[in-house]
Amino acid sequence: MKEIKLFLGPQHPGMHGNASVHMYVEGDIIKRSYLLPGMLHRGFEKSMERRTWMNNIALIPRICVPEPDTNEMVYAMNIEALAKIKVPERAHWIRMIILELARLSAHLMAFGGIGGPTGLYTAMYWAQADRDRILTIFEEITGHRVYHMYIVAGGVRKDLPKGIENKILDFLNDLESRLPEYEDLVLNNPTVRARTVDNILLPAEVVWELGVTGIGMRSATGQEYDIRKVAPYARYEKVDFKVPTATYSDAQTRMTLKYQEMYQSINIIKQAIDMMPGGKVRAKVADGSALRWRVPAGQVYSAVEASRGEYGYYTVSDGNTMPYRVAVRGASFPQGLLGVEKYMPGHRIDDAPLWFDTMGICSPEIDR
Amino acid sequence: MNKDIKNLVADIKSRFELVGEDYPKDDQAALDFNSRDIHSVLAYVKSQGFRQLSILSCVDWIKDNQFQLVYIVFNWETGIRLQVRTRIDRSNPKFTTVTSIYPGAKYYERDVHEFFGVEFEGNPDSYKQLFLENWDDMPPLRKDFDSKAYSDRKYPVREYAADFSKAGDKK
Amino acid sequence: MDKKSILAPFKGWKYLFKKPVTVAMDDIFKNPRESQDNYRGFHINDWAKCIGCGTCSEVCPTNAITMVERSDVADEEGSKPERPVIDYGRCCFCALCVDICTSGSLSLTKEYLLNSSDPEDFYYMPTEKGITGKPIKLGYVKDETSDLLDLERKHMEHVGEDERKGSFIEIVRGFSKEQAIAEASRCVACEICTKTCPAHMNIPEYIRSVWNDNLSEGVDYLYKTNPLPSVCGRICTHKCEGACAISQRGDAVAIRWLKRYIVDNVPDDEYEKVVLSQVSKKGDGKVAIVGSGSAGLSAAYYLSTLGYEVDVYERKAQAGGPMRYGAPKYRLPDDITNRDISFIEKLGVKIHTNTDVGKDITMDKLKSTHDAVFIATGYPDTRPLNIPGVDNKDVIMAMPFLADSADFERGSAKMPEIKEKVVVIGSGNVAFDVARTLVRLQNMKYGKSDVMMAALENRQQIPADIEEIEEGTEEGIKFNLACGPQKIVVDEKTGNVKGVEVCECTQLFDENHRFNPQFDFDARQVLEADQVYLAIGQMPDFTYIPDEVQSQMQIERGKIKTNKNGQVAGVPWLFAGGDIIKGMDIINGVANGHDAAIGIDEYLRKNKKKS
Repeated sequence: MKEIKLFLGPQHPGMHGNASVHMYVEGDIIKRSYLLPGMLHRGFEKSMERRTWMNNIALIPRICVPEPDTNEMVYAMNIEALAKIKVPERAHWIRMIILELARLSAHLMAFGGIGGPTGLYTAMYWAQADRDRILTIFEEITGHRVYHMYIVAGGVRKDLPKGIENKILDFLNDLESRLPEYEDLVLNNPTVRARTVDNILLPAEVVWELGVTGIGMRSATGQEYDIRKVAPYARYEKVDFKVPTATYSDAQTRMTLKYQEMYQSINIIKQAIDMMPGGKVRAKVADGSALRWRVPAGQVYSAVEASRGEYGYYTVSDGNTMPYRVAVRGASFPQGLLGVEKYMPGHRIDDAPLWFDTMGICSPEIDR
Repeated sequence: MNKDIKNLVADIKSRFELVGEDYPKDDQAALDFNSRDIHSVLAYVKSQGFRQLSILSCVDWIKDNQFQLVYIVFNWETGIRLQVRTRIDRSNPKFTTVTSIYPGAKYYERDVHEFFGVEFEGNPDSYKQLFLENWDDMPPLRKDFDSKAYSDRKYPVREYAADFSKAGDKK
Repeated sequence: MDKKSILAPFKGWKYLFKKPVTVAMDDIFKNPRESQDNYRGFHINDWAKCIGCGTCSEVCPTNAITMVERSDVADEEGSKPERPVIDYGRCCFCALCVDICTSGSLSLTKEYLLNSSDPEDFYYMPTEKGITGKPIKLGYVKDETSDLLDLERKHMEHVGEDERKGSFIEIVRGFSKEQAIAEASRCVACEICTKTCPAHMNIPEYIRSVWNDNLSEGVDYLYKTNPLPSVCGRICTHKCEGACAISQRGDAVAIRWLKRYIVDNVPDDEYEKVVLSQVSKKGDGKVAIVGSGSAGLSAAYYLSTLGYEVDVYERKAQAGGPMRYGAPKYRLPDDITNRDISFIEKLGVKIHTNTDVGKDITMDKLKSTHDAVFIATGYPDTRPLNIPGVDNKDVIMAMPFLADSADFERGSAKMPEIKEKVVVIGSGNVAFDVARTLVRLQNMKYGKSDVMMAALENRQQIPADIEEIEEGTEEGIKFNLACGPQKIVVDEKTGNVKGVEVCECTQLFDENHRFNPQFDFDARQVLEADQVYLAIGQMPDFTYIPDEVQSQMQIERGKIKTNKNGQVAGVPWLFAGGDIIKGMDIINGVANGHDAAIGIDEYLRKNKKKS
């Protein structure tokens, strides 16, 4: 049969962000495939070297659109490690609430996003509507819906607005009561199951080979490989939560884990609201105005558990007012590039978007 | 410092020549090696539980005329992270691939090649263009690449018609 | 597969009958959702508060903000006539501009909708009205947590009052390196101070030098406009700090102490290299300077760098004028003055002390041996007070007292005759110098002090620096404010002073803000004292200028009329500067001296040399 060349994306309802997959197909089977990244490359890493430590706050959330807060968190953690800043206790808890809300919103987007490749648009609409309610909470806390610019070195930019705790709890209770409907709609949906069960497998040895993290890793290895547990940051060591795992990773398993994680996130936020102390929320990064903040020289890597896996920044300071170098480790990098090249071939064309969705791929963080 | 790290570093010191060390965090050690040792170091730490290569990155120390390659590896059992670092000559930046140890390094090496111009011998695709379609300048993450000058050269500057210098001009 | 799971997805159909959570397309524009409090929407800028410092434009990560000069905004002290213009094609609504705004004039609103097909509509100069023209609801505003400025001045060590009030040791210890760099990092380099400084010193530049720990560069900046930086680093009236943008909401940057830090921490040899490197030596001529205060020395320095031969005439035994004979040593130690003057002398300036122009050498003689003459003779005499009893020997004038005391402090004279209980009349900086000197002398002589200051002003109106009031109070000075002295009470038998009779001052300025004191003559009291010191102001002495020259000059209220470069109107070879033309402080003198040097250079290049 003749091999033909097909493009998935950069504009495609099933494509996550503006990346393109270059596929060589025979019939409807993918024979070879490569990711063509760079469709929205904005040179973040280079731009950060030209902006002050504080000013970069305007850039970094943009590296991952659905879950910007992880960027802010790792960037802040690196500065705090270099400058030896003690973050106020309350700020740790606020950060945890923000990060878990972000995880929920990202999970909703990805979970509902399954509607794109499977034709189940109801899931997408529902998830987007629920995600929008989280964005409204973000809007009230941070001033914006998507790019929050809220977690900053030393703590958070402002304290939580009065009364937000109840609004968050109301929303969480409502979402919790609605999650079973999602289960019925998506996970138990025979049409979806027909596409996802025993399809798009991710064996444990591939996880180790590529360096896949997050749900992909946990669904294949059966281990609680979650940075929140393995190397806790914020105050994750003080809250009680479970890490869902599995030992057989097909698309269905990974969606199920995502679904179960949403319950855990709700659980964490509720505990955090309950246990959060009062007090200050921001410590000083350095002397003087933000235009003249200097961060002591050093090289440090920090990572957090994002919705798609290990999300890290490597920050190098030469003691000046701007970073000397920032390198971004997007969670999608291993599976999005090497994974597409090595393990997407063999799948059917219509499974390619599903492959992307359930592998947890977000193209902006590959481009950075 | 974390006790596990102490033991680990002592163990590494007994096997390899350590040229520098730093501990930016409680659970993180940054260790500098001669570039000839990097492969054996990585193979060794992988056997000690550092099964994941989180990222391979590069830093341009232009004043020293060196590139620094940074392999960040993670041990999922202990939560310890290592920065395995080495410096190579900037004027002839060549290194050998580590894909035989960490296959996932393949694209990180391509990334470093594209943005810094470091060649990775043994990585068959390392010369291929990845992100930067039709790029016509030096590798852009090098310190001597001036992104502002590039942008000024390539793209027009917006001109504004409105003049706000006088009262009552607008709004 | 069981039946339940086949039917399960259809449960969602119940939402067909529920109110949608989405916003209908039509409503997005016609009935837009109100954003949350704290929303980062379009800007507003309160022009009444905005000082045009441009810090918003400096911090903007997207280069969206440009400062534009407005013709309808007054160019005043402490502000610039500029206002920010925002390009919403670039703005990312991060609100860093709001968080760093020095005056707190910028805020964001809840407004997020603006439709136009004209891109120019998105280039906008925010005012207190919003971009959409609709009523404004405030969104994101700065709070204490989000503030990106450092509003608190770094602490500097001071000698405690117990230790200092019995001696003349310098009170302020000076910044350490860490403190200085931290303090320098508070500056936003808006340059508003430069405009206010009479000498227009390169303040943001030398603060940046401190911040970058490049002090010889700092000295270079200092000498561009001020050859007396060590002195000014201690006793300048620091008008710059009053104008500092940070002082809008916090403590001004300690500009004066940073200047002091630079000069105190550069070794002499490095210092000398910088100072001498500014010499161009193009000029040719000879200039006489009368008076060696700040104006005279400043003119001498700049003339000398231009290549002129300079003779400075000083009637006292040491050069420096008020730096030497006015400022008490606890504020300005002698060796500091020596240091600045020694660098000026190194350039070849000749200072003739003990030479009283008008007595030892006439103005005519100076004119005949020099190509130009610069007079900067200051306000050496104390303004008299016309009340009964002031001619008593125990009523003492401020200026001679300070001079005598200064000689005592440096060990070249014995202690002035001071008594146990004294009253100082006046509340300016000089009055405080007198009072605080008296505290020290009394403590040295009697082991205790009893100094009372009496003045027309009330506490809010006191013209002296705030530090003077605070430190003076710490040292035990008592105050009797808002009172007008009526007579000196003298014991008729002994002829000794017994006190000052004062009555209450009910008003100092009238409704037109003019000086117009009113008294309640019934509210009288006597402030007991053995000695009374008068420090209600100074005045010039022009007797050394020959009458025929004076007749060509215009002198109004003690000030000589000159052009902007100090050239005396009507007498082209004569230049004047310092207190006798403007102001009453060191830094004004420095500025006048620099201007006069430029003026004299221009004059001499046009007019041929004499001999």
